Amino acid sequence: MAKIVFAAGVPHAPAIVGQFDHAPDEVKAVVTDTFEAVKQQMYAARPDVLIVFANDHLANSRVRSYPDFLIGTAREHRGPHSWFKPWIGCRDYVAKGNPDVAKALFRGMTHRGIRMTAKAENLNFDDNISVPVVMTDLDQSEIGLVPVLQNCTVPPYPDQYHCYAVGKALGDFVRNDLPADLRVGLIGSGGLSHEPGGARYYKIDQEFDRAFLQLTTQGDHDTLLKEMTPERMDTAGMGGTAEILAWYPIMGAIGECTGEDFGYSGWPNFRCGIGGVIWDLSTSKQHQH
Amino acid sequence: MGWEKFDPNLVSNDLVQDLKWDEQLRELFKQNERAVLDQYDLLPEERAAIEARDFRKLYDLGIHPYLGGQLSRFIWGNEAGKSAVEAANNLVASLTGQTPNISKT
Repeated sequence: MAKIVFAAGVPHAPAIVGQFDHAPDEVKAVVTDTFEAVKQQMYAARPDVLIVFANDHLANSRVRSYPDFLIGTAREHRGPHSWFKPWIGCRDYVAKGNPDVAKALFRGMTHRGIRMTAKAENLNFDDNISVPVVMTDLDQSEIGLVPVLQNCTVPPYPDQYHCYAVGKALGDFVRNDLPADLRVGLIGSGGLSHEPGGARYYKIDQEFDRAFLQLTTQGDHDTLLKEMTPERMDTAGMGGTAEILAWYPIMGAIGECTGEDFGYSGWPNFRCGIGGVIWDLSTSKQHQH
Repeated sequence: MGWEKFDPNLVSNDLVQDLKWDEQLRELFKQNERAVLDQYDLLPEERAAIEARDFRKLYDLGIHPYLGGQLSRFIWGNEAGKSAVEAANNLVASLTGQTPNISKT
């Protein structure tokens, strides 16, 4: 029985890398405190493999044939994609992959009735994977990355209930399909509120973001699933906010856990609400849902 | 603005994705936008909207907003904190009914 040893939800707005130096100190502190905590606690947990669910920003598939969950099974993962480099302004990286776990995940989810798609080629990564990789120096580690690019933005995309059910299957897969001594980390990458390409490009819904962080740190999944609907996410920023749905597979996998956030920023120049959560796995009420 | 206008059939969605994926096409778009647009089976009003930088019209025709935002970067620039800001400002101006800056192509 493999074990989930670390679980977090993180933001991935490119500006927290490319525009970090221009941010006020209190905003910088939110970014630094969040990712330093993720980095410190993730490495302390000694995962062998890190499965990252993250919104695919239409970088890998046509909108008319768009997979809901695309697993990268490559031996190594290179990024960021060339088009995105000036936008994010981060270093090039090569993160170690884990094809065995990636393929087992594809197989395991298929057997559990969850339709996923897999590709052995290097996926096109933008901020979705690049920000968590460079902010945690994952590419400097021996941890194997398994990216799962999620459809959070091409209608009809999987809603909160489906994403949570994917998470329950993910937890079952980790516990029953992976080698007994394997240590697994999970990260959901995305959010918080933003509207990329929309008329409210600079609008951030701080009230929504704070409510979301509160519900995720409280570990009240019934309320979270009931209240944080895709419609409410779109009201808080269409086409962007719903990428917090990438946190739901993680929460579904670990069950109800309390967690800790590391502050919140709604600085407009980041064009995205910024906040992250690390869940305390010792508080899990795994089988309630 | 909601998802009711989004049309996955709209060819502009393919154009923007191709620009993301093909560096040579990106370069050609900068040098000779008309030559790139000629390669796509765009609706007359769709092409006119791209040429007029009328993002409101493009959104009404069905472009995905995220790809609309990226089209603005192909037109005005993609550099963090610099040309990308101009792209965002011009995009928002178009979507909110102001006149976008169409001087740069």
